[in-house]
Amino acid sequence: MDLLNNLYTGFSIALTFNNIIYCLVGVLFGQIIGVLPGIGAPTAIALLLPLTFKANPTSALIMFAGIYYGVAYGGTITSVLINVPGESSTVMTCLDGYQMALKGRAGAALSIAAIGSFIAGTVSIIILMAFAPALAKLALRFGPAEYFALAVMAFGLLTVFGGEQPIKTIISTMLGLLIATIGLDVVSGMPRFAFGVPQLLGGFDFIIIICGMFGIAEVFCSIEEPEEGELLKSKFRLRDLFLTWEDWIASRWAIVRGGVIGFIVGIIPAGGITTASFLAYLGEKRVSKHPERFGKGAIEGVAAPESANNAASISGFAPLLALGIPGSPTTAVMLAGFMMWGIRPGPMLFQKNPDLVWGLISSMYIGNFLLLLINIFLIPAFVALLRLPYTIIMGFIVVFASVGAYSVNNNFFDVWMMLGFAVLGYLMRKLNYPIVPLVLALVLGNLAENSLRQALTISGGSFSIFFTRPICAVFIAAAIFAYLTPVIRWAFKGLRKVKVDTA
Amino acid sequence: MSFFPGGIGMRLADLIGGVVVLILGLAVIFFSSQLTYYSEYGPGPGFLPLWLGVVLVGCAIFVIMNVLKKHDKIGTFFKPRTKLGLHVLIIIFITFLLLPFLGFSIGLALFVGITMRIMGRHRWVSCSLTAVVTAICIHLIFVSWLTIPLPQGLIGW
Repeated sequence: MDLLNNLYTGFSIALTFNNIIYCLVGVLFGQIIGVLPGIGAPTAIALLLPLTFKANPTSALIMFAGIYYGVAYGGTITSVLINVPGESSTVMTCLDGYQMALKGRAGAALSIAAIGSFIAGTVSIIILMAFAPALAKLALRFGPAEYFALAVMAFGLLTVFGGEQPIKTIISTMLGLLIATIGLDVVSGMPRFAFGVPQLLGGFDFIIIICGMFGIAEVFCSIEEPEEGELLKSKFRLRDLFLTWEDWIASRWAIVRGGVIGFIVGIIPAGGITTASFLAYLGEKRVSKHPERFGKGAIEGVAAPESANNAASISGFAPLLALGIPGSPTTAVMLAGFMMWGIRPGPMLFQKNPDLVWGLISSMYIGNFLLLLINIFLIPAFVALLRLPYTIIMGFIVVFASVGAYSVNNNFFDVWMMLGFAVLGYLMRKLNYPIVPLVLALVLGNLAENSLRQALTISGGSFSIFFTRPICAVFIAAAIFAYLTPVIRWAFKGLRKVKVDTA
Repeated sequence: MSFFPGGIGMRLADLIGGVVVLILGLAVIFFSSQLTYYSEYGPGPGFLPLWLGVVLVGCAIFVIMNVLKKHDKIGTFFKPRTKLGLHVLIIIFITFLLLPFLGFSIGLALFVGITMRIMGRHRWVSCSLTAVVTAICIHLIFVSWLTIPLPQGLIGW
């Protein structure tokens, strides 16, 4: 009954005219961002965040969530039509989506992507509604030690999912934590690493760093290595989008399996929607009776990753809302939004701000439905966007990033800092230091440090507090395992090599 | 054609990156050692930064050793289009310098127009028209609608 009550509360908020408009704007914007090269969901939300200071938090979050899952839909269009993923989460869609397009079945590929995303997304929302409050209830038992351990686990999982070079992922994480320590120490009131610069006493605002590292740095990278592909000149008629009975038969279980994998990966901190789509594709290929069709235009090769990325983008809200721990860069930016409005996500959010939580979750049903309609009837309009020159997109990214950075404290210092972080972000990408761990560590830095200090104060300085409390010990064990994964992989590789050599 | 004659290899770039992280780590250890490590109430403000510095130094040494062990060539740091990116960085830099005098609307609109011309080789008419529309949009959206107090510059816009 609770679920129905919550659903009723949520829909009474999400279905107001104002919030439907915010949701529509969000999904449309997300779809556009997904289509456009060189700009992703975290960038878009970071650029818009400072502009929503005065908006109602629930409405703004509904819009941002719409951008988040809208992007997953939008990225499909470029994957299918020009073999260039608009988003990293649609990389796997290129493999079979583009092959389908070459065979004149682009309409069917886009259609199954939209329908699969809709079905998996909707089921994911239903599970989220049941799962998130349960997770929040569990989190009520969390003390500082558990929160610190959770943050350590999230950082640890980044080394598994974060990039090709775990050591660089760890460096990025440390840099994020380090940046978070700049400014006045909240416990002692002592300045740290401010070097007498008054503007640094308050620390770096998250928005400035995000606008620089995701916004402007992305511009430099896109100029240097533009994503180019040839747009297939096919006309879309409505009937091309209809699926055949064979398509349905081939895709139905792929959608279910993709949705399940997506949901599970999405709730793991640092799991991410890209990993979800990757695993769903590989999983589908493995269970398929005709794995040889994959990569040659198999419709289930589109259905599975597309269902997974949408399910993961929705389940990613569970750790954010219930624990206050973002699992992806986009939810990390949204966490910054929560903080900007003075709202602290976590278990108490369900009790203190039920309107916001359930309004946000219910809006996802509406957003997914709107996206389904948009993706069936407005595809040609989005295809036209692919012809927009990057120089114009780049100009607008710089405009939004500059205004966003300035509006945080209304000073030019922040604008210059934003440019500095842009250069840092660009250099890090060039040298294969992933940005996401830095961003997650930056957002969680204060929580992690304060929890660590509180926990050690409680235990009288003994680190045993992290190993004697059951939940805490599980998190720490998971973190240790995650940090050791690269070593284990390396050891296995070595063993295999030895076996091959001796054979 | 490489941006710099001869080019900087990724290996050297990686090595420089590792050394920068190493220096940063050592600096963090130095500065955090001047902060209180442990107070009577628990860990002090220097506790976490000190350990962050130690981990940074450890990781940097690992990166440097890894680079020194490798002997294969893995591409160059500067790509043929890096120069274009550098041009944009310089234009952004000049734009930011001029923003207090030109104001956000005009300054950023000029940036959009100029980059369209330099990067995209669009016609002057298109660039000028886009710049004018951008200036009007920035003013209407950010200043009038969202009431963000953006600096208005000498022209008052």
